[in-house]
Amino acid sequence: MKKQMLIILALIAAMLAIGACGGAPAAQPTQPPAQPTQPPAQPEGKLAQIRAVGKLIVGTSADYPPYESIDASGNFVGFDMDLIRAVGENLGVEVEIRDMPFDSLIASLQEGKIDAVIAAMQATAERDEKVDFTIPYRKTKDAFIGAGDTTIIMTKPEDAAGLIIGAQTGTVQEGWIQKTLVATGLTPADKVFSYERADQAALDLASGRVQLVLMDAEPALELAKQNGLKVLLVTETTAEGGKSIAIPEGSSDLKAELDRIIQGLIDDGTVKALEEKHGLP
Amino acid sequence: MELLQDLLTTFNFIVQGLWVTISVTAVALTVGLALGITMAIVRVYGHPALQTAVSVYSVVIRATPVIVIIFILFFVISRYINLSPFWAGALALGFASGAYQTEIFRGAIQAVQPGQMIAARAIGMSRLQAIQSIVLPQALRLALPSWGNEATLVLKDSTLVFAVGVPEILRRAQQVSARTFEPFLAFGVALLLYLALTLITTQALQRLERRYRLQV
Repeated sequence: MKKQMLIILALIAAMLAIGACGGAPAAQPTQPPAQPTQPPAQPEGKLAQIRAVGKLIVGTSADYPPYESIDASGNFVGFDMDLIRAVGENLGVEVEIRDMPFDSLIASLQEGKIDAVIAAMQATAERDEKVDFTIPYRKTKDAFIGAGDTTIIMTKPEDAAGLIIGAQTGTVQEGWIQKTLVATGLTPADKVFSYERADQAALDLASGRVQLVLMDAEPALELAKQNGLKVLLVTETTAEGGKSIAIPEGSSDLKAELDRIIQGLIDDGTVKALEEKHGLP
Repeated sequence: MELLQDLLTTFNFIVQGLWVTISVTAVALTVGLALGITMAIVRVYGHPALQTAVSVYSVVIRATPVIVIIFILFFVISRYINLSPFWAGALALGFASGAYQTEIFRGAIQAVQPGQMIAARAIGMSRLQAIQSIVLPQALRLALPSWGNEATLVLKDSTLVFAVGVPEILRRAQQVSARTFEPFLAFGVALLLYLALTLITTQALQRLERRYRLQV
């Protein structure tokens, strides 16, 4: 009996070892294990492949309106969906959208199950190691909000100088306040409040403890609507990064073409029109 | 009235995932049944080496989260065999259920008194004949209650196939909830559908149980 147990354990260990070896080259699909550092073999490039098939398969996670969601009749709708269809039109191919969990998107892209990902995704350093990103099609925006009856008028972010301001702890916005307002002496350090959560900041705003709150624009608009607050300024200056389309690692031809198309859509006002259509700040 | 309207639209949307959930569950249970019965017989009557192999399968698979099995099938195995998301998900659930069903049927086979096997052999039946016509007919009856339990578990595990993009009932509920900001309505409808499916399954199995009850 003991001997049998040992055999079983040995077999499990062997299987795990095989599994570990099998798992290692997972990041490099379609490539023989001899050259694990090479990107996937693409004899004629990803772009040519897509054009040959005539179809761009795009993954998204359709539970994030107004960027992507599914309407009552089962169609993919939202800012990202309209944008990727416009991209497909420019590319001269049909766009097929597949819904999957946000967490499965990068893996599916790496394994070649899909050609691109559009899911309001930011090109973070960790993701950038696994896949490539196009230029941002939409810059991240921040908003300054004030109490409903505030008399403050802002035309530029620096107008916040000297006012009591709040932000969420550890965010890009807090960093901007510290760097631009406090370090330069425009706002005394004791006029800056740091909050665990943005909705707590909104409560203090309503009660008059702070005069301004700086945060991500989209939740800010929602928060302002729910709590009767006033949006004073929406700006790109204080924010960092943007939302990009993710494509397989090493598909430089596809990246070049998509970058060109996205820049075109930004320049001809398509992106702006879509933002307005979907109520994005 | 508006609530009723909302309920109806929500229901109509989510119910489109019903067929997906039913097919995934049916495939998984069938694959699991075939694996389970075969491996249980091997486990009890097979060659010692085969017995060990089956034990290893059963232990390793039961130790692995089903979602990991789905990922392995969809992302690793399908590099060599072209598996659609549906088949990767359904087969992964089937392989997982196979391990659990092996244990269900092994227990049932062992519950048939060993004397019966000896008696069957004594009157000249081969081992295979004895398994086929003496042991299995009794074991399958004994296994029915636990098998019914496994069936409802697989039904709920079928929600996991969305990890590779198969839109079953629960994912459709998430989609509605994201759009309408009414999670209670959306997930309530999902709950009702699962409840209905579970009731139907258990009722059908209870009928089978009554019909094939051992007359002692």
